[in-house]
Amino acid sequence: MAVILSNPDQAIVNLVHEALNLLQAYPALAILASILLSTLPLVVIFPSGFAFITWMERKGLARIQNRIGPNRVGVPFTNIKLFGLGQPLADGVKMLLKEDIVPRTADKFAHFLAPVLVVIPALLVLALLPFNRNMVAAGVDSAVILFFALGSVSTLAIFMAGWSSRNKYSLLGGMRAIAQMVSYEIPLVLSAVTAIMITGSLNTSRLIETQQIGTWAASNNVGLQCLSQVAGWNVFTPWGFAGFVIFFIATLAEVNRSPFDLPEADSEIIAGHLTEYSGFKYALFFLAEYIGAFAMSGLATTLFLGGWHGPNIRPWWSADPEAWIIPGALWFFLKMLLLIVLMIWVRGTFPRLRVDQLMGFAWKFLMPLSILNIFVAGAYFYLPIWIGWPAGFIILYIAYELLGRLNRGQVVARREYRYAT
Amino acid sequence: MNITFTILSTLAIVSALLAARLRNLVYAVLSLMIFFSALAALFIVLLAEFIGAVQILVYVGAVGILILFAIMLTHHIAGSTGERIDARGWFWAIPAAGAVLFGILLPAIIYTPLPLVPSSSTYEPSVLHLGQALMSPYAATLEIMALLLTAAMIGAVVIAMTLQPGDKEKHADQN
Repeated sequence: MAVILSNPDQAIVNLVHEALNLLQAYPALAILASILLSTLPLVVIFPSGFAFITWMERKGLARIQNRIGPNRVGVPFTNIKLFGLGQPLADGVKMLLKEDIVPRTADKFAHFLAPVLVVIPALLVLALLPFNRNMVAAGVDSAVILFFALGSVSTLAIFMAGWSSRNKYSLLGGMRAIAQMVSYEIPLVLSAVTAIMITGSLNTSRLIETQQIGTWAASNNVGLQCLSQVAGWNVFTPWGFAGFVIFFIATLAEVNRSPFDLPEADSEIIAGHLTEYSGFKYALFFLAEYIGAFAMSGLATTLFLGGWHGPNIRPWWSADPEAWIIPGALWFFLKMLLLIVLMIWVRGTFPRLRVDQLMGFAWKFLMPLSILNIFVAGAYFYLPIWIGWPAGFIILYIAYELLGRLNRGQVVARREYRYAT
Repeated sequence: MNITFTILSTLAIVSALLAARLRNLVYAVLSLMIFFSALAALFIVLLAEFIGAVQILVYVGAVGILILFAIMLTHHIAGSTGERIDARGWFWAIPAAGAVLFGILLPAIIYTPLPLVPSSSTYEPSVLHLGQALMSPYAATLEIMALLLTAAMIGAVVIAMTLQPGDKEKHADQN
């Protein structure tokens, strides 16, 4: 006990050594342990996070709309209500118990396969995100490309859902989903290119490692250490800020979140590709959507928000230059959660776009801006920071203004409300 | 590794055959997608994860959706099973195609010294060399390809542009 108190690091190291010795004795156990260690947390944490986020979204939207939201279900069989935190559990049980209805004319095989196919890529891409230093399930060298590649598979699954239902609204939703996702993938990838260019790597861990100021982090000054973990984030450069905003908007469209939820616009096409789904298949689509939102927020955190870096200091008892006192995973999840909250806020605030506005926004505004952003990032890399920063900022701001003015369209006359006061 | 290779290559062959033989067009496209995915997984097994990722990105993500769009724009939207290209002797085409492939691969098989030795003992990321090769010796090729693709895109936009009211009469005259 005394050892643990005086030297917590050494105690953990001893424990790890014990475990490693055990695994060395049984190689089969070691393989099983490595598989479970890298996959189980992802499969457990994110679906439970999904349950929590549904509660948070309902609560948040309710507050925005001046309602209370779910507040009855708490701990089962007791009177404890916990602000309705038991609601996701009740929802899950309801979804499981509901009858699974398949339309008679539907293509049974494709109808069954679509919800499965939509969940697989959503879960797979989580393996590419580094939640902390060395805390990545698949440390692939070209992880960012693989992320986008796997992400594009879900488009196919949504189309399958829409086509196999043999329903006009489903098919319309599927076609809208394809058009939207293919269009918004371009600004998404182009805005990510800037961070990749500056880092010179497609590896997600490497992308985060460069987002700190190394000389400050190595110093003994606590304030500088703290600052070094924040000042290096890509979002604090002009190209990084523009890239982050474009990336976030494109993310909203990629995961079918409001205001880009046209594929499932309930006032126009019932529920789009989800119309003919019920029971747990319906829940699987939502699971995939929310896990996709998590993964996209994780990638935005990785590319622009400094990943596991956050205000942090080095432990005074350790000589390791890479040791930090607050676990980096905490910062990573906090940033991810903040982006999700931002998505919920956007959903509660903005009305849905029209189809022509949706396409125009992607092709006429986001795409030129993200292409220009690549050039700005290239110039920023070669110029000294005191020229590159203001010049990049001014160029991007002028482009933003110009594109905004060019895309304004015709001005509608101001509406007069004669009978309202 | 060998088990993974066997499973993936079996999946690839079966799904490729299905893609060629299925009566339902949409099913054929979906099994083609399975074939592309299996191929991408094979690339990843061979530690060429960049090519695997590009395989998924280009073929499953873009080409597959393009084919689906093309099918949706025809009357085959419901996956009608009435029409199909049916040629006699398709069975003999399989050994013929196999023979052609073998003929192409024959020089490589002859000139490869056996047993195989790894060309390098360490695994290096493939993207770095790819990027450097694209930037220095193949820069001109890359630029020409970019120009070609841009021209193709502009051409597509021109074709897709809606006709002006004045153009409509001209268009009608031609018909």
